[in-house]
Amino acid sequence: MRVEVLGARDLDQARAFVEAQGLAFEPDFDDLVGVFSGVTGGGQLAGVGARRGDVLKTIAVAPSRQGTYVLGAIVTQLVARGFAAGHRSLFVFTTPAHASHGRTALLESGRGLARWLDAHRELVRQGSNGAVVVNCNPFTLGHRHLVEEAARGVDTLYVLVVSEDRSVFPFEVRLRLVSEGTRDLPNVRVLDTGRYAVSAITFPDYFLKSTEDVALVQMELDVTLFARRIAPFFGVRQRFFGSEPYCETTRRYNETMHRLLPALGVEAVELARTAAGGEAISASGVRARLRENHLEGIEELVPPTTAAFLRSQEAVAIRERLRTSEGRHA
Amino acid sequence: MSIARKAQAGTMQSSDLMVFVEPAGELVIEIESTVKRQFEHLIRTKVEEVLRAEGVKSGRVRLNDRGALDYAIQARLETALARAEAE
Repeated sequence: MRVEVLGARDLDQARAFVEAQGLAFEPDFDDLVGVFSGVTGGGQLAGVGARRGDVLKTIAVAPSRQGTYVLGAIVTQLVARGFAAGHRSLFVFTTPAHASHGRTALLESGRGLARWLDAHRELVRQGSNGAVVVNCNPFTLGHRHLVEEAARGVDTLYVLVVSEDRSVFPFEVRLRLVSEGTRDLPNVRVLDTGRYAVSAITFPDYFLKSTEDVALVQMELDVTLFARRIAPFFGVRQRFFGSEPYCETTRRYNETMHRLLPALGVEAVELARTAAGGEAISASGVRARLRENHLEGIEELVPPTTAAFLRSQEAVAIRERLRTSEGRHA
Repeated sequence: MSIARKAQAGTMQSSDLMVFVEPAGELVIEIESTVKRQFEHLIRTKVEEVLRAEGVKSGRVRLNDRGALDYAIQARLETALARAEAE
């Protein structure tokens, strides 16, 4: 047996192997390892596995080698490399052959979720609470309106800001602008989502604008994880979100929340978007203005705290990036 | 002995375990095991015994156990600690 980190030369063989096991071969990974049978060169591939960040994926073992050391050899390599790369928790998606419900199962190795919940334990308040999950790229008057409305009807409102750093406004800035822009609301608590809501783990396709069915499966997973593990911890009975006039992915996500949350004990509350000058306020609208360097009257779209940031020296690099890049969350 | 850097030892094969150690301000022991329900207390006792013998006072020690026996736990943990020691 040889366990090898596969290079470009082995890619075609790995792809053929994976496809022969009925899986799709995804070309984006940090590590790709293979187990070859036979001690010397020329052995056949007996198994393949890949790691992308903290997700183990594309794990396939030849049917004749299942139930042998092959799987352990692959996983050992991937886990060792994941740990060396700085990941304490690792995830794997699987078909729910052994799960009781749903169309996919997400397994975590390491106490990541428990650790994340523990880190926010002091924010937990008794009562009938609510939550919003927002990216806020950047924080607008639309977000402010959503938070204000939601906070009015609950004891404590948790504002979970998406941690995944794939937006032009870095996570620290997004979190800070949300905190500053909601500081006057006494029953609002702002926190990060960690890896557990709208992240590359729970929701990889959110950032790709896929219309494929896999996106729907991911959304169901994301919503179920929220309702079963996050909401109970924070005493959240209601999840609030803005109606979505523009983005197809977000609209489907809203539908998924309406469909799944009530049965899991969380009320889904959709609130109408705020309009300015006849158009719903959106962060993408703000980014479009920035792209054109059109800051005049930006106060119609964002609260003073965000406006001050946008005019600051700190925002220069972000605005420059906006002018030169494209993409959904750019 | 102290845990000066990240280190690991072991495999994910059946009857083996993987040990991960990292520097930390306090001593934290995290145990995941396929036989956690029956044997977590015994695994923990063994880990504490080795840490005490090696004089380890702080660090994050994580075990991913696949049903290893005592001496395997001891050997893997000792190896991880040796690898984590300052040069």
